[in-house]
Amino acid sequence: MRDVLTTTAELDALATIGAFVRVGLEHAGFDERGNWQVQLAVDEAATNIIQHAYPAASPGAIEVIWWFDDTTFGVELRDTGKPFDPAAVPRPRIDAPLEERDGGGLGLYLIDQLMDTVTFAREAPGVNIVRMVRRRPAQAPAVRQFALHGRLDARHSAAALAAVRTALDDGARAVLLDLSDVSFISSSGLRDLIVLLRRVRAVGGELRLCALQPLVAEVFALTGFVQLFPIHPTAADGLRAFGGPTRAS
Amino acid sequence: MDTTYLEITHRSFSRTDLLELRGRLDAMHAPELRQRIEALFEQGRTRIVLDLAGLEYVSSPGLRVLIEARKRARDRRLPDLEAGDLRLARLPVRIREVFDLTGFTNLFQIHDDVVDAIGSF
Repeated sequence: MRDVLTTTAELDALATIGAFVRVGLEHAGFDERGNWQVQLAVDEAATNIIQHAYPAASPGAIEVIWWFDDTTFGVELRDTGKPFDPAAVPRPRIDAPLEERDGGGLGLYLIDQLMDTVTFAREAPGVNIVRMVRRRPAQAPAVRQFALHGRLDARHSAAALAAVRTALDDGARAVLLDLSDVSFISSSGLRDLIVLLRRVRAVGGELRLCALQPLVAEVFALTGFVQLFPIHPTAADGLRAFGGPTRAS
Repeated sequence: MDTTYLEITHRSFSRTDLLELRGRLDAMHAPELRQRIEALFEQGRTRIVLDLAGLEYVSSPGLRVLIEARKRARDRRLPDLEAGDLRLARLPVRIREVFDLTGFTNLFQIHDDVVDAIGSF
């Protein structure tokens, strides 16, 4: 995913830029703290451009681009103002006493602390680029676990699976069905499970089953359904398997 | 965190002044805080507590205002020969994180309670 915002390099654009980047960070799965940290780094870089790249009387444009792939989230800020040499900015002495501190260099220091990599470049013709990248948080899917009860037959299975369909509609993508209390499954029940499986896969999700009673397990074996569903001996095994291979065991 | 304002509320006590900050202390709004503190200095009021409980965001221009203000408060001698100071109360967790990152935690007297901060003068 990727998005671009172009705005005038003025101080009242800072809140707008922060809100713009926040949307990308939310899509990329950052929690509130990580989101806030990256926003602060972007805010510092934008402040630097607004205050130093252009004359205050005639601010130019600032372009903000965010993107992310499977592992990293990046933000780029582009301006066409004065070149910027980060090496010329003294780094603050973080452990110095008050008398020896003047608050200079804190913006760059914070960017370095909050992002994994930061590069400053000047590209022809006259474009300054600061590119900041941070690892995305590990994407552990939130698993929704459902315990089914009694008989999964023509009369009961659709109702039993209704809650799962609702969860899918609400955005659940990792679903574990606990069948430990299911004593019987009919061909209707099997059909409803297949429909559910297709539905989960259609939205890019994962459906796993666990804790089948011996008779139910036998039906799965006889019908070849063991080839279609990943089945785990216990709920704990099932929960651990999410995010891994989805082929049936 | 789509806040776009900084709100500063002033309460005056006999020996100290309390400024309650709400919102964003970024490059846009840091000058507003500098001016409010400057105005207190001009009235000879140099014992100031900042209540930061409502502060959602701080970036380096805001941090610079805090450093400069504390230095200036301590430089100014009151008629009773007690130095002034700028003390802080009730830092939200995110603000505390920025303070820790930048070494600011050791630069300020920080109180968990506003009454304690005012009473510390």
